[in-house]
Amino acid sequence: MTESTRGVYVYGIVPADVEVQPDAEGVGDPPGKVDMVTHGDIAALISAVPTDEALGRPEDLTAHAALLDGAAAEVPVLPMKFGGVLAGREQVTEELLAPHHDEFVGALAELEGRAEYLVRGRYHTDTVLGEILRENPELDRLRERIRETSQDASRNERISLGEAVNNALAAKRAADTSTAMKALGDLDLTVTSREPTHEEDAVHLACLARTDQQSDLEAALNRLAEQWTGRVDLRLLGPLAPYDFVVSAV
Amino acid sequence: MTTAVQPAGGGSGVERPTSSSLADVIDTILDKGLVIDAYVRVSLVGIELLTIDARVVVASVDTYLRFAEAVNRLDISADEKQGLPDLVGGMQESGSKSKTKGALEAAGEKLRETLGDDSGEEEPAGQRRKGGSR
Repeated sequence: MTESTRGVYVYGIVPADVEVQPDAEGVGDPPGKVDMVTHGDIAALISAVPTDEALGRPEDLTAHAALLDGAAAEVPVLPMKFGGVLAGREQVTEELLAPHHDEFVGALAELEGRAEYLVRGRYHTDTVLGEILRENPELDRLRERIRETSQDASRNERISLGEAVNNALAAKRAADTSTAMKALGDLDLTVTSREPTHEEDAVHLACLARTDQQSDLEAALNRLAEQWTGRVDLRLLGPLAPYDFVVSAV
Repeated sequence: MTTAVQPAGGGSGVERPTSSSLADVIDTILDKGLVIDAYVRVSLVGIELLTIDARVVVASVDTYLRFAEAVNRLDISADEKQGLPDLVGGMQESGSKSKTKGALEAAGEKLRETLGDDSGEEEPAGQRRKGGSR
């Protein structure tokens, strides 16, 4: 492979005193060896990557996330969005690290001791649909009417019913999101609500929390999960790199 | 039920997967994080990215018809029993769940084809190409 077909993939920015684990694997096939480009107090996590092959296989995506999430468990990290490639190591220093050194130092300082945690809740379909029917008797009546009609003749009614269910589900999602945010209200964290990415999503929250408070976060979510038994399955992911809490300031 | 380290007794605590599923990763790293283009323009390399469409929930007539089918199949009398004590809770749940599964499973069908289930194991996923390089 010649130099002209290689680029430098950038995962994120960390403090300069971080050490990369020797077996850390990056994107690409075979996986690139993860390395650092250091400048002043900061460093970029990088790996060499061929530029004549497309990136974005599932392995590439998980390698990107796993490296940054692994780092975030130990040190502050500014995660890059997937897919950023520069021409070479010098360019990483000259164009990325040097011009933005102080800005990155400041952002890393703010993240010290903190990481992102994702809270995902998934509805038990039958339970939540049952709730919707009981709370909206007119939908149950519409349902009965549809049952007495042929498939073709009831198409418009079925669309109306489904739309009403969809709206009721969106309202439930909003209410349950608010309940979950309240359940985390006593903790010292920043919460942001993500858009649902699945129709059965009940709650989709990103939290920036102190890693030494993780057990408090788990306890609060355990209480909520108990309360929602048979209704919403709750999942907690993290510590993760703070993707939802970094913004390109340009 | 997966094996999870949880406080004993409840059995209904928050799940703590040790790693993110591919679907979780896709929800995160494709449209969040610092954008290198915002910092670097000169030496940016235009490498081709196999992008996966961001996962969004878009309601359509198809969605509505699926929801209608799901509630039409729902056995409300079975559902009301869910107010009973915990003893029957679990069985009730798994029983009724399988009943209407077909309908709402279809809702996530497109995603599952390529990504595998959110909550399940990572499956090798294909990607839809969305144009070519950046």
